Order: sequence, then structure tokens, then C-alpha cells
Amino acid sequence: MEHRIDAWLILAVAGILGASLVTQNAVAGVVGPQLLARQLLWACAGMLTLLALSRVRLDLYARVAPLVYLIGLAALVAVLFFGEIRSGTRGWFALGPLTIQPSEFARVATILMVAAWLGRRSGSGLSAKEAAVLVALVGAAAGLVALEPDLGVTVTYLPVAVAALWIGGLPRRAWIGLVALGILVGVFAWHTVLKDFQKERVMTVLDPERDPYGVGYQVRQSKIAVGAGGLAGQGVGHGSQSLLRFLPAQHTDFAFAVWAEATGFVGATGLLLAYALLLYRIGMAAVVAENRFGLVLAVLVCAWLAFQVVVNLGMVLGLLPTTGITLPLFSYGGSSLLSTCAALGAVQSVWRHRLVNQ
Amino acid sequence: MEIREDLGPVRRRSMMMLLAIFLVLGALHFRMAQLQLIEGVHWRQMAENNRLRRLPLAAVRGRIYDRRGQVLADNLPAWNLLLFPDEARNLNETVLFVADLGIGGAASLHDRVNKRSVDRLAPMVVGENLDWNQVARVRSHQSDHPELSIVAGFRRHYPLGPAVAHAVGHLRMVSEEELVANPRLDPNSRVGAIGVEALADDFLTGRTGERWVVVSAVGRQLGVVREISSTSGKDLAVTLDADLQRVAAQAMGERGGAVAAIDPNNGAVRILYSAPSFNPELFSGKLSTEDWNELSNDPRLPLQDRCLQGTYPPGSTIKPFLALAALTEGVVTPDWSVHCSGGVVLHGHRFRCWRRGGHGKVNLLRSLEASCDIYYYQLGQRLGIDRMAGWLEAFGFGRRTGVGLPSEASGLIGSPEWSRRVRGTPWYPGEAVSVSIGQGPVLATALQLARGFAALANGGRLVTPHVVVNPEGADSIDLNLDPALLEQVKSGLELVVHGDQGTARSLAALPVAGKTGTAQVVRLQEGVDSADLAPHLQHHAWFVGWAPIDDPQIVIALVVEHGGGGGSIAAPTASIILSAALGENVDPAPGQGQER
Repeated sequence: MEHRIDAWLILAVAGILGASLVTQNAVAGVVGPQLLARQLLWACAGMLTLLALSRVRLDLYARVAPLVYLIGLAALVAVLFFGEIRSGTRGWFALGPLTIQPSEFARVATILMVAAWLGRRSGSGLSAKEAAVLVALVGAAAGLVALEPDLGVTVTYLPVAVAALWIGGLPRRAWIGLVALGILVGVFAWHTVLKDFQKERVMTVLDPERDPYGVGYQVRQSKIAVGAGGLAGQGVGHGSQSLLRFLPAQHTDFAFAVWAEATGFVGATGLLLAYALLLYRIGMAAVVAENRFGLVLAVLVCAWLAFQVVVNLGMVLGLLPTTGITLPLFSYGGSSLLSTCAALGAVQSVWRHRLVNQ
Repeated sequence: MEIREDLGPVRRRSMMMLLAIFLVLGALHFRMAQLQLIEGVHWRQMAENNRLRRLPLAAVRGRIYDRRGQVLADNLPAWNLLLFPDEARNLNETVLFVADLGIGGAASLHDRVNKRSVDRLAPMVVGENLDWNQVARVRSHQSDHPELSIVAGFRRHYPLGPAVAHAVGHLRMVSEEELVANPRLDPNSRVGAIGVEALADDFLTGRTGERWVVVSAVGRQLGVVREISSTSGKDLAVTLDADLQRVAAQAMGERGGAVAAIDPNNGAVRILYSAPSFNPELFSGKLSTEDWNELSNDPRLPLQDRCLQGTYPPGSTIKPFLALAALTEGVVTPDWSVHCSGGVVLHGHRFRCWRRGGHGKVNLLRSLEASCDIYYYQLGQRLGIDRMAGWLEAFGFGRRTGVGLPSEASGLIGSPEWSRRVRGTPWYPGEAVSVSIGQGPVLATALQLARGFAALANGGRLVTPHVVVNPEGADSIDLNLDPALLEQVKSGLELVVHGDQGTARSLAALPVAGKTGTAQVVRLQEGVDSADLAPHLQHHAWFVGWAPIDDPQIVIALVVEHGGGGGSIAAPTASIILSAALGENVDPAPGQGQER
């Protein structure tokens, strides 16, 4: 049997999209009006995608998962050869006036694949071999994205892998080992892989006044914008920080700062509540699902979106280093919006078919 | 029956995850409250004191050198005044303050501020080349007017001034269309308008850099956010000769006309001087309305480039080409002669020779030396208009020389075909008679004539004139002329300067061969003397020739507008320039030249 679509989730999505369009409209005078028109188009397309994919039967998702995953990998390989380069990253297919970022869609494909794989096995507790398979499934896609190189998107594959290991039931001693390994890798990376500007970004979080006009500039301006919003905000279209372009990437990574300056604590809280509601409803879909595949699918989507929300807001609020991770459904970008809506459509299929045991 | 699997542990783990997520979101909300509610006033103050500016970093434009390394175009440091309109507390007051400095009118400034482009962070240049007084006044009022800023820039300087104005060119403000086509352009920048400045604009132009700075509420610079340094343009050496340009300018004096000189061996342009000229530095800064009106309303049209855009009837300077054509086509021989009695009736009209009394018996050499018109009327009749047009075309007339400088005129060769196609009227046989002495529907530029004579001087190669050396070598077309016949014509041209009856005897002290020309502006009625004509109807005076005779190094084509006779006016002027070119200080022999 089928249940109705989750109205609370739709409400949260519509609220976030609405706030996003208001923000894009406010900065249209600075970044150009065509972006607003495009984002409006993407928002409509996203909503339709969500509604359409929610009607697809859940077991179909499990069945097509390997195929979708392979197509995703193929697209990631193809973009390395035929992709367009933007600021040093070869990550876009150009289709006439549109550009498509396959790394965003491949993440949804990876989530499907991991969920399908975990859905088929039974029992609890992951063996070392099984854990390795999971890491390999996510790692293959993430590795290809890292080759573009698009480190911001690569990092967003991390919560998928961690949540998969968690939900799959990795033993406690393995977690201890992983955390220790993570620290080791981190220390190693700090001394070898990370470039100076990346280290500076991390240092800036610890000491915000370190270099206020250099590396610390973005974060500082972002904090000024959010802080200047005060309780009720400066009004949409009036934030001097955002409108006079003190704020970099104001329509993408730092879009939340524009919103927070315009609408203040009230508006920022409202938007945060919308994300909380969204994540809560995804979590509910997981908790009530009667089959393993649906449950895992919803949990992975939840983990991924929560990660992006937390990392992006942490950056905007000056708590985390600048990474170039966008705010899902809110930052400008068609591929990100569409792939997020597609993932939410799959979650809604879980919700509608929650009592079906495959 | 299917066994329901136990999802309990999995559910428990997902709920733990959800709980962790909400804890983190709660922490974020706490941070928001801290920034917006607790520290809100502090950050709002920061926002008000926070000004980001994008300052353009001027790129040095490449210098232009002449063939010997003399600087033709240079850059001088200059102080410019920038306005950041969005930072002004009271734009009206600012505009009045700027106008009070003596920089432009308040009304036009207002106009510009209102019409500025979307890019709000970019400043406007409201004043250029400020003097120390103005700089001091802005600096002393800096705290009242933080929206104004003095920056260092460059101003284009032309050491030779008017002597090279048309050839080297000048700058102009970048146009709206160019800004739309290329958004990377700085709206305050200048590009080459004419001459070499326009021809080699891409080469000379550097890339403007930018510096993003944060300034305090009173305009003090607090820190540099980002800087993209500027790249200088490349220096360029051209084939022009600065000394000869200067001599040409002096020799032409106040008279209007054009001087073009090229190296006949490769087409390198040595002189391109159009008179009267103007001061190209007027365009280096903001051109004042008074200066512009004075320049554009001057009846002598100093802005017109008479070397490249001035087309004149070539007059008798066309004769050597037609003589060579007739010899090569076999319609005349060097010994063929005509009796000149001062006039001849052709197609029912009487055509006169410039010498009323006639030249008597005239053969090829005499026809060139004394420039007999009757000889060429007859020669033209034998050759026919189509063959005349074809040969003139072969010598490069009727089309652009390809010198590469902007707005070159192509001149004109009249023919029956042209008459039908362009004029839409039938061709009159009488017109061919006029064409055979370089009158009527035939027009040429000084540069075209210099190029044509270069082909005579260098043994029959039509070179491509150029001011910037083509690294792939100068291209030329071999005209396949018969050396013996060419020698005949060249001997005639030598007699023009060195013969007893030569029309350019004022040049006799120099090793020059050439041809004078006197181009009628109006047809003379019977009994009217050319000296009685109004100044603007006086004949154009030509001299075209090369030196030294046997080892040609320079070809000069010189026209004095409404100057009168080619021999009496143009040849002495050419002699000043040619003697300078040959490194000899020879005074022109006083007016020995005859009318033509």
C-alpha cells in the first residue's frame, strides 16, 4: 500500500527554496538578474523532480541502483576528459546554456548503491571485508571527484561513508581505530598535503583577527554581515554588507550570510528551523520504514544533508574553516538543487512505501 | 511466509545519529544568537565603518620609437582624481567641490555620475593630470571627502607633437560598444584612436590590474584584500623617421597638404605628415569642449589625415605610368613624336596644353621633361581607357596600399565599367582625354603615388608600404616590366630635375629623379589665368620623386593643397625634405621651376 507524501517535508523544502529566491533576488543587482531567473527555473524543476520520484516504487530504486551507480562513475570519468574547466576544476559538462556538475548527481547514485548493498545483507555487525567494500564503493566516486580536483564536493562524500559504517554496525573497537587513524591522517596531511592557504584558513578559525584583510577576510566579512543583521535584520535588499559586495560568493557559499543580514536573528532562526524540520522528517522516514533498504537510504541522505548544512553554517558563522561547501537547496546552483531534490524524492518513496517489506 | 527481519538495532543507531545532528544544529543556533543578539551592535558598527574599494592599477602603455630609437610616444606620470560615488554622503556637494577645483563643469559631472555603469565598486575618474595645487586641495579636504582619492596614473606624451600627430596617432576614451563587447575593459581606459596607436593597439596596451582595499570611514586605507598586478604593454619600433617628420612639418609650414615618403626597396614608410596638423596630446587627457570645438570647426580641417584619406587628382605625376604602359603595349615607341602647338581638338572639344605657346616637336623624353599635355592626350587615345585603367591598377592605384593604418582611402580610377556601376551615367570619350593627364575621374593619395614611383625606382616591384615591420618579411609584387623601356621612362624623370627644360629644376642640386604635377581644382575657362583664381580654387601642387637616382633610398610624394604649380611650389618644398634625407644641407635653388 502507498501512503501520502509527507506534507511537512514539502513545507520545509518550499520554505527553504522561497527564502533562497528572496536572497537571490536581493543580490541580483550585484551578481546579475539572470541568476535569479535560472534559480527560479531550477527550483520549479526540483520540486517536480521530487514529486515525480516520490511516486516511483521503492524496490525499483534498489534494483536500478547498480546501474545508476555505474552511470555515475562513467560520468565522473567522462568529465575528466570532456569537462569544462572553471577556476581550475574540470567538473562541468556544458549543454548549450546549461552546465551540469556530475559530481553532485554521482553522490546520489553512490547513496543508492550503498543503501542497496546494505539493504541486501542481514544480521548486525560489519566484518572487516564488508566495511572495506562500503569504503570502496564511496571511495571510488569520491576519488574521481578528487581528481577534478573538486575538494569541496569530495568532502561531502565523507558523511555518506561514515553514516554507512555507522548504520551497518561497525564494532566499537573499529571506531576507536578509525578515529585514531583519522587523527594520524590529519596530522600527516597538515604537514604534507595541505597548502599554506588551507592551513591559514584553519588557523583563522582559531584566531579570527589573524589576517583580517587576507585569508581571514571572507570569514570576517561574513561574521560582520550576520552580526549586523541583529534581531530583526536590515530588511531585504538593504544589507550594506551584502549589497556593496563586501561579501564574497554572496549567492553561493555565503548566501546564508545575506539572508541573516537582511532578516536578522528572526529570519535566520526560521531558516535553521526549516532545515531542522527537513532533517527531522527525513529521519522519521528512516525510523518508520519497515525495510532495511529504505531505512538506510533515508539515513544516508539525512547524514549527507546534515553535514552540508552544518559545515556551511559553521563557515558562515565563523566556527569552521572556509571549504566551499554550499548550503543545500539555498545556495545558487542547478546541479546541487536538482540532485538534492532527487534524493529527497527517493526519501519520499521510502515514506510512501514504509510498510512494504521487500 | 516471509520472516520480518529485526530492524531494531539499525533504528536505534539512526535515532542516535538524528539526536547528534540536532545537538549540532542547536549549537549553531546558539552561535547565531551570540553574533546577532549579543554582539550585534559591535558588528553593525563594523559594517558601517567597512568600505571596500577596487582601485585600478594603471598599466603602462608601450612606447613607440622611430627607426633610430627616438621616442615618438611616451608616458608621463600624472595624478588622477577618483570618485567613489556610492560612498559620497552628499553627491551634490562633492560634485561642486570637484568643479571648484577647476576640473570640468558641475553639470557634465552630474551627468556622468548618473550614467555610470552597474559596477558600483568601481571608481570613476573625474579628473586627470591634476597639478600640485589641485592635489593639495583634495588632500587637505580628504576627511570631508573620503569618497575622493588621488591615484597615480600615466598620461600619453608625444615629444614631437604635431609633427607626427596623424601617423603616430592619439588616444580616445574606450567606447560604450567596446565596453559592452569586452566586460574586462576598464571604463576609464583609453585606446588608440588613429595612426600607429590604433594599428598596434593590442600590442601596445597592457592589462590593467586592480587592488581591493578596505578603507576606514574617513578614507584611510586599512588593508589590502587582494591585488592583481598590472602588466605593461610592449614597446614598438616603427619605420618612421622622426627627424624627417620634423623637417617635413617645417617645410610644409602653414600650408595644407600631405607628405608621404617610403623606402622603395621594401616599402618602409619614412614620412607620413599631414598638414595642417594638431597637438595629439589634447587627446591624452580629457578633451575640453573648447579645444574640441576649435579643432573640429577649423576650416582647414587639421584632424583630416591628408596622407591616407586625402585623395587628389594626380595631375602630371600620372604621366610616367601611362608612358610606360604605352611603351609596353607597343602603341608608341620612344622615338614616336607629337607636334605640340598648345592645343588639340579631340571628340569635338579643344584640349589645351598647359603651355599656351606649345612645346613644338615632343618625343617620350621631352614629354616627361617638359610635361607636355598634348603628347599624353594622343598617347591616351592610342592606349584607350581600359588599358590605362588596367595599368594604373597594376601600379596600385584605385585600392588601398595596405599600410594597415585605419581609414585609408582607396582613391579612384575612372573607367567605362566604373561609370556604369558607380556613377550610373555613360562614359564620355572626352573623360579618357582628361584621365591621360591625371585629371577628371582619377584620384590618388600621396601614399599611392609614392608607392607607384617606388615601383619605377626599384626596377618594377610593387612594395607594400608599412609602418610596423612584418616579421615574415615585406611582401611585394613583381610587375614584370621590360628593363629597357623602364630605363627610358626613368631617363625622362631624371631630365625633369636635371634637363634644360625640366619642370623641377629647383631640385637640380640633388641626385633626384621625379615628376611635378599641377592638379586643377576647376577647369580653366578660355582667357582665365590660374593666378586669378580664388585661393580655395587654386591648383594642387605635386612633386613625386626618388633619390639618389641610381641607388634609390627614398621616394617622396608631396602635395600642397591649392598651392599652385608643382614646379614652383611642391618641388622646392620637396627639396628641403630630400636634402635632409640625403644628409646634405642644400638650399633649394630659387624658383627655376616652370609651371608644371
